[in-house]
Amino acid sequence: MFETLLDDIAQESAFRHIHPGTKLLLGLGSLVICLVSPSPLVPLLSGIVLSCVLVIPARVSPVIYGELLLGPAVFTVISVVLLFFLLGGGAVIWRYHPVLWIDLTLTEGSLREGILVLCRVFGCSVSLFFITLTTPMTDLFNLMKRARVPVELIDLMMIMYRYVFIFYEHAKEIYLAQKMRLGYGSPKESLRSLSSLCGMLFITSWNAGEDLIRAMDCRCYDGAFPSFGQVEPVRARSILPVVLYLLILGVIGFMASARIVKLP
Amino acid sequence: MSIILEARDIHFRYPREGREVIRGISFHIRKGEKIALVGPNGAGKSTLLQMFNGMIRPSTGTMLFDNKPIRYDSASLRDLRRRVGYVLQNADRQLIAPTVWQDVAFGPSNLGYDDEMVGKKVADALRHVGIEGFGRRPPHQLSGGEKKRVAIAGILAMDPDILIFDEPTSDLDPAGSEDIMELLEELNHEGRTVIISTHDVELAYPWADRAILLLNGEILREDRPEVAFGSPGLVRKAHLSVPALLDLSLELGRRGYSQPERKPRSVLDMVEIIENLLHGSRWNRVPGTITVCNVDEDRRSLASCVASREDLAIGTMGTRAKQRAQQEQLPVEFHYGVIDKCILRALRGKDSLILTTNSMAGRVTLRVEAYCRESGNTIAVIPLKPAEQEPPAATKGNAGEGEGGYEE
Repeated sequence: MFETLLDDIAQESAFRHIHPGTKLLLGLGSLVICLVSPSPLVPLLSGIVLSCVLVIPARVSPVIYGELLLGPAVFTVISVVLLFFLLGGGAVIWRYHPVLWIDLTLTEGSLREGILVLCRVFGCSVSLFFITLTTPMTDLFNLMKRARVPVELIDLMMIMYRYVFIFYEHAKEIYLAQKMRLGYGSPKESLRSLSSLCGMLFITSWNAGEDLIRAMDCRCYDGAFPSFGQVEPVRARSILPVVLYLLILGVIGFMASARIVKLP
Repeated sequence: MSIILEARDIHFRYPREGREVIRGISFHIRKGEKIALVGPNGAGKSTLLQMFNGMIRPSTGTMLFDNKPIRYDSASLRDLRRRVGYVLQNADRQLIAPTVWQDVAFGPSNLGYDDEMVGKKVADALRHVGIEGFGRRPPHQLSGGEKKRVAIAGILAMDPDILIFDEPTSDLDPAGSEDIMELLEELNHEGRTVIISTHDVELAYPWADRAILLLNGEILREDRPEVAFGSPGLVRKAHLSVPALLDLSLELGRRGYSQPERKPRSVLDMVEIIENLLHGSRWNRVPGTITVCNVDEDRRSLASCVASREDLAIGTMGTRAKQRAQQEQLPVEFHYGVIDKCILRALRGKDSLILTTNSMAGRVTLRVEAYCRESGNTIAVIPLKPAEQEPPAATKGNAGEGEGGYEE
């Protein structure tokens, strides 16, 4: 139930009643600053600050948050270790050259680049998690409508959002039913079961589509898909800290990059 | 009462399918009636229901709404569907929007109301079914009963005259089913015609004004429930079962115990019959009283009014009454079939309090009076008074103590 979980956390977040635009500004703003900053300090700082904000005032369970971070962490650590030995430049720090065709070299340049990538991934992931864990999809739809994203697109997205959970439940049921009858016993059997699961799911979604049209007809469908009327106002006490935070982050990034420019 | 829906010899077969699903059905439904369409799976219940709001057009024959033949152009259909609300069996299939608010607003928005009007309709509908404050939640986070309520709210927001429910309680637990049936009762009392399809005879039997037994696309029997379900042969033919109360009454009759003309529809009726058999006369104990409180008008703290009355059992009728009881944390004993249960309690010499809404307030007196007329008992229905004026309950309330033979 992972995908339900993320949306559930957002629905129950203590930041639920802050205008989604404010939250999006914080998330996307820090994401951009993390990406453009040439210094690892900025994404690291941003990641730590946003993590603290998520866990303390937004009251996301630290355990769940930790588990979530673990996903990208495993992937990133492996990539960064590779980067250490792939990139080059600067003085050699450590070298391992046991046989002719194995030559592992760690240089100052590769170390710096590797750490920068690591910090950037950390900062950017946390920025995205911030949006995911505080802003439910339903609020984002609302925001998109205000941002003049084409209505047809939003309507489709809303229907998809609604049906993802239904099909997921259904797929789970079919999977369990197959598993109970030893459907995934051998690789060959797994392949057969999986294909029939996909087929069943296709038929189900086809039927659900027809039912959807019927349900909409029953309620006088005439092209209008209502958007949620109530939107929280943009409040100074939430937007000001966000702007201030982004400014500070930007200034730190600028200063760090200026120093780095001077360094060589 | 005037006829609102009528079928004249309708037939229907699905295209590319040889078998006729509906084979010559004629009937009519009057305004404000409670109709149960009962039959086994595949009898054609859903098909027939979908003809009521023009989702399916009969192959031959005419459907009439408000004494005019249904027309199948899109403008007429829209008007028909606004006035004939249809709640699908599977709430998941009916809820289409990502939040409860948007889903309930779907009908009103498509009817072209302005934003303010839509907001008002949605708020009213949500309050009506008792799920205010759910507006932001996505449907997949709700329980089965809550989803059903959202689906009903979505239809109520269009303010229909007729409400059609396809298997309204099929995926609910017993308590959830009773809540929904109570809601249907409330909607009916506001003047709406309610039609349900079901194969649960125990559910349909006490509820419906009229039952239509359907088998293989034909009407097997159409009558008051006690008659429609009263013939074991017919009921068996329709793959149904005789309701337990009716079965008991029939069995007592077969054993030579005289049975009244009117068959028992509720436990209260049955108790009356058994009492008569045992004592030969009516109950000779001093009956208890039924206190009524209209929560829409009475803004006092109910908790303080009932605090001194520990013997008082509380029943709620209507969504707002249930909410009020919850707010004040009153211990509610009866949620469904409240009046009958309170009469039963009064017959045991015990008092009860009914919390009710505006639309259902008059019903308590009517039902109790009707019962008293029939049975010759006298049960007092009194409005709720403040705590200090409350008559001492002990003198009356203790009369039935120690019997304890019957418990709800």
